[in-house]
Amino acid sequence: MSFEVRQQDGVAVVGLTGDVDLQTSPTVRQKLLECLDKHPKLVVDMSNVAYIDSSGVASLVEAFQVSRKKGSDFSLAAVSPAAMRVLSLARLDKVFNIHADVNSAVAAKG
Amino acid sequence: MNQSSSEPDSAAAANTGPAEIKDHLALIAEMTREFTATHTLDSVSMKALERITAFVGAEASSMFLLDADSGELVCNACFGPVNITGLRLPPGTGIVGRAVQQVQGQIIRDVRKDSDFGALVDAKTGFSTRSILVAPMALGSESLGAIEIINKTGGDGLFTRNDLMLLETLTRAAGLAVHNIRLAERIVERERERHELELAAEIQRDLLPAATSHDFPVHGINIPARAVSGDFYDIIPLADGRIWFSVGDVSGKGMNAALLMAKTTSLFRCLAKSAEHPGQLMGVINSELCETNSHGMFVTMVGGFFDPATGKMRLCNAGHEPPLVFDWAKQSFLPLPADTPPLGIAPDIMGHDGFPNIEINLRASSLYIFTDGLTEATTFGGGMLGIDGARALIREHAEESADLRLKSITGAVRVPGKSLHDDLTLLIVEDSGEPAPAPVEVAPGEDDVHEGVIARIRVPATPDRLKLIRASAEQAAVFCGADKAWTLDLVMAVDESCQNIIRHAYKGVPEPGDIVIDFVREGDSLAVLLMDFAEPVDPEKIKSRDLNDVQPGGLGVHLIKSVTDDARFMPPPAGVGNLFKLTKRLPAKVN
Repeated sequence: MSFEVRQQDGVAVVGLTGDVDLQTSPTVRQKLLECLDKHPKLVVDMSNVAYIDSSGVASLVEAFQVSRKKGSDFSLAAVSPAAMRVLSLARLDKVFNIHADVNSAVAAKG
Repeated sequence: MNQSSSEPDSAAAANTGPAEIKDHLALIAEMTREFTATHTLDSVSMKALERITAFVGAEASSMFLLDADSGELVCNACFGPVNITGLRLPPGTGIVGRAVQQVQGQIIRDVRKDSDFGALVDAKTGFSTRSILVAPMALGSESLGAIEIINKTGGDGLFTRNDLMLLETLTRAAGLAVHNIRLAERIVERERERHELELAAEIQRDLLPAATSHDFPVHGINIPARAVSGDFYDIIPLADGRIWFSVGDVSGKGMNAALLMAKTTSLFRCLAKSAEHPGQLMGVINSELCETNSHGMFVTMVGGFFDPATGKMRLCNAGHEPPLVFDWAKQSFLPLPADTPPLGIAPDIMGHDGFPNIEINLRASSLYIFTDGLTEATTFGGGMLGIDGARALIREHAEESADLRLKSITGAVRVPGKSLHDDLTLLIVEDSGEPAPAPVEVAPGEDDVHEGVIARIRVPATPDRLKLIRASAEQAAVFCGADKAWTLDLVMAVDESCQNIIRHAYKGVPEPGDIVIDFVREGDSLAVLLMDFAEPVDPEKIKSRDLNDVQPGGLGVHLIKSVTDDARFMPPPAGVGNLFKLTKRLPAKVN
């Protein structure tokens, strides 16, 4: 599991790589919350996340809730079909702001 | 029609000689013949007005017909120097209005002396009205309009009682023609409506599923009380072997109920193919129905699916009459809960919980879903059948084939020669084939490898082994020939189950023990047996989370249930703490 943050047009893009499971989700959760402290606009690039389990989804939900409280902008980009399956089973696909790719997610934050 | 005059004057009653009578009769005979033979009023009216104006010797004439909606008198034909066709007179206006209201002929020799005379028309047209003769047109007590003749020029220039009598006679013939034409129009309109209704009924019949073969597990029948029905049922077999079914009843009858029925059954058919479970499907249909105004109509509906391979059924009842489950062996009925409101009333009617599912095993039982057309039907004895009557009929015909049973039960409430007073629908779901082998209830011991085991993996119950467990599950699925999506779902279910062992079963244990996982091929399914060595957990405490409540955690059980056909705790063998079993049917092409 790796975690990297880069800037693109004033938006922080968080690239996750690897499986987000019970093993890795505590780190993902902590890193996402840290990023939300620093950046008002955040896009999570999910293109390299092949698998996400319920604990990983819970980390995303928590980050989403914190972003709402802070009034910051939080969205997901390039969600793989496998991850989308979990999100839709959890009926969260309509809750999260999901974009097809990072560029459109960044552009949407104008 | 009372003949009278607003200006009684003995001079008006001129003598009528034989020659004049002969002429009158000839005119009456001719006009009556024309009026009774016509199918279009306008041309005949024009001709009649022209003839009578000439005959009496006057300047102009017009026919007014009563507009039933507005009460106005509308000029539909006229003869003379000024065309007033289309002129509308408010109810009771002018001398014509008075004639129609009082149903009395009017002879006005000098309009200036009549307070009802409205000079408006003259002012508009430039015509100068001096005298008027009006005969009201009526049929029985129904006012149809009137015919007026204006400005007599012949003779002494004054309208006579004979003129009025002649006009009244002709007006009566015109009234008959108006009546006949309207009747003919109504018949044509009714015939058109009947034809449209027949077409609607035909399309509606096509919306119902075709009759199923005798060995198919689901059978239905729909008998509309009128041409079209507010009831519906549907049967949708899926590629994976499951069969979706529905029975619904739209509040109300007739065409509007039929249209709402068509909408609901189309939504069901379209959405069932991708729905996760019946409760979710009902929720979607409910919001769709609420989105468009259904004018106070709503739908009660039972929808669900049956899996003939396992005998399991999941259904959701939205405000419908509770279905009955009849146990063949015990000859008894199992009541199904029903306290969910109907569809189409309010989008958020079920709050955060959505529409609940009912799960039952239908082995050796039959499910009967029916509309109130059955329970509220009148029996031969005269009383209402009621739910007890329905139960008695089901018992009485239990030995018959499903096809025959549908006919026997519905036939029992149909009095020959009488139509039903409500639409009647009945659906039967039951096992048709041989009972499937009972699910393996005896779990293998920790050390004894169960027959059909594809693979066994034993790992410490720690998060860092989950990736390894997922890889094993993936390979077991691939070994069974499963496709990518199926494999992904199995991996998810196994991962989430192991998470529960790590997080709940071994919770607070300083040195967690192992997880043993057996992947077992069971008929057309892949079973996964997950064993741990912790203290037994109380399954009641592990519940699916409330999905609409966006809170972290608690999602795992929901995911497991969503992607497997069965997931449950089983009695653990000796030495094992908990045994959790997942069963997932392999895709159709593998079987």
